[in-house]
Amino acid sequence: MKRIQFETKALNDQALTYAASELRVNKEFIEINVLEEKKSLLGLNKSYVVEAVVDFDIINDGIEYLKSMLKNMDIEAVIEAKRIDDRHLLFSIESKENPILIGKNGKTLDAIQTALKNYINLYIEDYHVILLDIGGYREQRKKQLEILATKTAMDVIKSKTPSKLTRMNSYERRIIHTKLSDWRDVSTKSEGDEPNRYVVITPRLK
Amino acid sequence: MAIDFEKLVFDLVMPLVIHPEDLLVKKFSEDEQSITIQILVNKEDLGRVIGKGGRIANAIRTISYAAASRIGKRIKIDIDSFE
Repeated sequence: MKRIQFETKALNDQALTYAASELRVNKEFIEINVLEEKKSLLGLNKSYVVEAVVDFDIINDGIEYLKSMLKNMDIEAVIEAKRIDDRHLLFSIESKENPILIGKNGKTLDAIQTALKNYINLYIEDYHVILLDIGGYREQRKKQLEILATKTAMDVIKSKTPSKLTRMNSYERRIIHTKLSDWRDVSTKSEGDEPNRYVVITPRLK
Repeated sequence: MAIDFEKLVFDLVMPLVIHPEDLLVKKFSEDEQSITIQILVNKEDLGRVIGKGGRIANAIRTISYAAASRIGKRIKIDIDSFE
């Protein structure tokens, strides 16, 4: 959790604004706790030692963020989140409008994931990888890509000529690289510039 | 079915800014095919709303675009800051 300690003369909005600019987050998420009250000798000047804490829970606030977004889009959905390990979290959405939320080639799904990941990582101290799945799309796409990788690799071995795959995002390219990483007869490499980066599968010459 | 695009965009941008009091989301125009939304933020927040290489801005656009496609419209989002 992000937190700072500082001294302030008054517990007002100014203290909150200061904390917000230091912590670099929206002040609506900041909670201020008084640690100590200081008084000068004559008791005229009072000041406080306070601690400002970013009040944020990845799972609850993450779900809230998605919930309000989908509500604004007029889409009813069930949202779940679970922690995979200390750095990875998986959010999943199930709704009647899954195709709209996934978009062409998962474009909208990626956009929602980017927005969610960015939002969460602004409010927490340690970087987390946030994954989002809608209606099992990611899992299905992974299977498809693995089949594509295997088929293309077999063609490459047979024809002994390199083969380019279509443009993919980093996550999808990784699936291809990982799938073929233990193949002895082919090697994989990513070429081109984002967003048109693609994987090339080349035969490994003996 | 009515979707309040100003609110959709506002709720997406609001948690990203340090100066929420300076955030302004306004619908500029709307006709049968398209909607134009203008986002105005504090200069300090511009980078956060646009993101590295425009990644966040594009995510906001794509999400709004998906929402607008439900009512058969295109949406254009401009982001700018106060001087």
